[in-house]
Amino acid sequence: MTLETKRVIIAALGGLFLLSLVFVQRMETARKAEEAGLRAPTIAVPSDSRECVDCHAEENPGIVAHWTGSTHAERGVGCYSCHEADREDADSYLHHGVQIATVVTPRDCANCHDAEADEFAQSHHAAGGNILASLDNFLAETVEGVRLEFNPHSPTPGRAFQAVNGFASANSGCQQCHGAKVALNATDGGVVTVDDLQPDEDGIPTNLDAVGRIARDENGRPLINSRTWPNTGIGRLNLDGSKGSCTACHSRHDFSPRRARQPENCGKCHLGPDHPQKEIYEESKHGIAYRDLKDDMNLDAERWVLGESYSAAPTCATCHMSGNIRNGGRITHDPGERISWTNRPAVSLAMDTDINHGIVTDTDNETRRELTHDSWSQKRDRMKEVCSNCHTDAYVNSFYKQYDDLVVLYNEKFAKPGLQIMNALLANDLRTATEFDEEIEWSWFYLWHHEGRRARHGASMMAPDYTHWHGMYEVAERFYMELIPQAREIAQHAAATGRRSAADAVNAVIDDVLARPEHIWFEEGAEGQAEAIRREMERRYGVPNR
Amino acid sequence: MNAVSRWIGERLPVSGRQFKELTNEPVPYHLKRWWFALGGTPAYLFIVQIFTGILLAFYYEAAPATAYRSVELITNEVAFGWFIRSVHKWAATLMIAAVILHQIRVFFTGAYRRPREINWFIGMCLLMCTLLTGFTGYSLVFEQLSFWGATVGANIADTTPLIGPFLKNMMLAGSSYNEATLSRFFILHAAVLPVTIVMLIAVHITVIRLQGVTEFRFKDEEGGTPKTFNFFPDHLYTELIIGLILMILLSALATIFPATMGPQANPLQTPEVIKPEWFFYVAFRWLKLFGGTFAILSMGFIIFTMFTWPFIDNWLRKHTKFQEASVWVGVVGALTVISLTVWEAVARH
Repeated sequence: MTLETKRVIIAALGGLFLLSLVFVQRMETARKAEEAGLRAPTIAVPSDSRECVDCHAEENPGIVAHWTGSTHAERGVGCYSCHEADREDADSYLHHGVQIATVVTPRDCANCHDAEADEFAQSHHAAGGNILASLDNFLAETVEGVRLEFNPHSPTPGRAFQAVNGFASANSGCQQCHGAKVALNATDGGVVTVDDLQPDEDGIPTNLDAVGRIARDENGRPLINSRTWPNTGIGRLNLDGSKGSCTACHSRHDFSPRRARQPENCGKCHLGPDHPQKEIYEESKHGIAYRDLKDDMNLDAERWVLGESYSAAPTCATCHMSGNIRNGGRITHDPGERISWTNRPAVSLAMDTDINHGIVTDTDNETRRELTHDSWSQKRDRMKEVCSNCHTDAYVNSFYKQYDDLVVLYNEKFAKPGLQIMNALLANDLRTATEFDEEIEWSWFYLWHHEGRRARHGASMMAPDYTHWHGMYEVAERFYMELIPQAREIAQHAAATGRRSAADAVNAVIDDVLARPEHIWFEEGAEGQAEAIRREMERRYGVPNR
Repeated sequence: MNAVSRWIGERLPVSGRQFKELTNEPVPYHLKRWWFALGGTPAYLFIVQIFTGILLAFYYEAAPATAYRSVELITNEVAFGWFIRSVHKWAATLMIAAVILHQIRVFFTGAYRRPREINWFIGMCLLMCTLLTGFTGYSLVFEQLSFWGATVGANIADTTPLIGPFLKNMMLAGSSYNEATLSRFFILHAAVLPVTIVMLIAVHITVIRLQGVTEFRFKDEEGGTPKTFNFFPDHLYTELIIGLILMILLSALATIFPATMGPQANPLQTPEVIKPEWFFYVAFRWLKLFGGTFAILSMGFIIFTMFTWPFIDNWLRKHTKFQEASVWVGVVGALTVISLTVWEAVARH
């Protein structure tokens, strides 16, 4: 190589090096400007969403502002990427020259996040809409409301209401967590739902007659029934046949991972008298540590792995969904993958699940083995992987022993006997098949649905006060002071009105329950036990000064 | 002008001709081949390290309570801090790679043979110092890897017969990691080792100048090819090109893969997987394979053999028929190092 050539190469490389320093300078200036709030983070508005952003920045600046701060914006995923629709989609319409749909479903998200969507589709979350045919829904639509519209019985000064929506409690209550069955208004005054549209595997309606009945405004935009939209319930039943709503956890339009990692996110639904997981978590040492150490949680990390990105405290997401170093950082969108008991029903069940993720309820061990695709112990092992990031195996195993003990105590002492008594009343025609029309049905509902769950959930997440005072204490009181006396009274009334055999049958069940060692104190007294406890206390702590 | 020249000449009695003679050492012709001109690469990178290291030291605080925060400050808040730290990290990686590559080249070309045994010895010292600088460097960040890396390193040193506990005590400033450990690492990283390296490089280059670079002739060179060419400007240009390529590479690596931060050191939480930086993978895997005192002694023996290889090689060539033993030893050694490094890299534990 000649000297002249070398000089040229040096000049070129020197220029390139200077250019790289200029680039570094540009990066630094941009970073400082962003930090100082002088300029928005770098975003890429894709060309197909340019018009949406320009217009909605004027019309709904909040939407655009949220999106602007999102990872989607940084990576060039725009409005149209998610709202794009086929002409054949039931809810699609032409909007400024592009075919879009208002409701974004997991099927849309699956275009990019297919693995997450698959996991979610198999989860109990996705099946949250099944409540639409449950006891809870009966409460909201019949007991609290009514399954029809009725006329107001007197005027509301200043407002002119023509009809009372009997579904209002279900619409604004149950369905905002569990998910609504999204409906479009129909030209015949009814509604069109997924049941009518019968979508194929691509989500395209196969019942064109139903599509033809969809009511549209003057711009051709389908009218979404206001009882079912807005709705971000986790098990929403969408028009394209998909179930769920990713925005239930990943709030639109910023889809913040940071928010989804925080317990407040789950607390939209997992709280209250019947399943106060959020409050239970707050009472637990986990929640206490989280409040104290939130700044150390690295919540903005792109990859949020317990033991790698943070160790300060666990949140709901940490234990039930997020990755940890023990499992190679694998995230799941099926929170049931690590839950070994279901404490939802009156009697807790081991979470053996079949190939369709349904709980195996068969009692025969051989059949259970055949049906079980993912056993409760496999699920527990997955949770233990999480626990073991911060606790020793012995500690975790002992905790699970305590938890199992509490669930089994509740099941055996109160839940199964309570169910037995309620079934005996029903079988002997001493209560109606209609729920909530008799006092004992409310008592029983409170016992298992509220207090019993509080006790079990309290034990599952180490909240002693929820386990005891808000839980087992109230279960016991409800059982001994309400359920048993009410059942006795029903039997007594039956005997007095000539239904002796029914009364005897129910009394026999109650007698059998109360004759068990764990209940015997109730009718035979427990003075001996009280005295034994007193003596033991004196032995330990001495005679108290009076 | 003459007055100025005279004034300087009186105080620096070196004439232009003498200066040219001093700097214009004839360079063996084989250095026209690029891969023979890579000896300067570690030196380049070392200069980068000194420059960026000084800038980082302006902000770094060597105490367990403040070290991590100060590195966070450098990375996230100080102007160009992320770039300087990233360049420092990448230059360290490249420097270690360059030292190893340079040593491999010297080994396989037999450039350590008589009369250059001492320079090989100095080169080995430079390799050890570079590795130690790398080790003390990543300990300074005070992330989990830093803390547990230092702890594991000290525990390994502890298994050395006789002097193990003393070594560990010297490393950690006590029997376990404590408040004084980090400042000890910092002094080693930012003062003792760099000064030692500077002195060793000075001796290394002086010896090269005194003995001249080993000359090679290649088959494709014609008979008329000159034996040497001028250092200035011809070879200087070559070095400049290599230097600029390095700077561009560093700049690119620092911007595309900037240095990140792991979780802060937590003495109460042992990470499930502890791995040192890549250049210690080979030693780490060796320790896992053989464990304890044997691993330490065998590693000590291997390092001793590396230091004394010129004499061993000389003895083999004189007293045995294995004239090319060094090539085969080199091949086996290099393959072993690569295999163990890859093994450790892919292994989860």
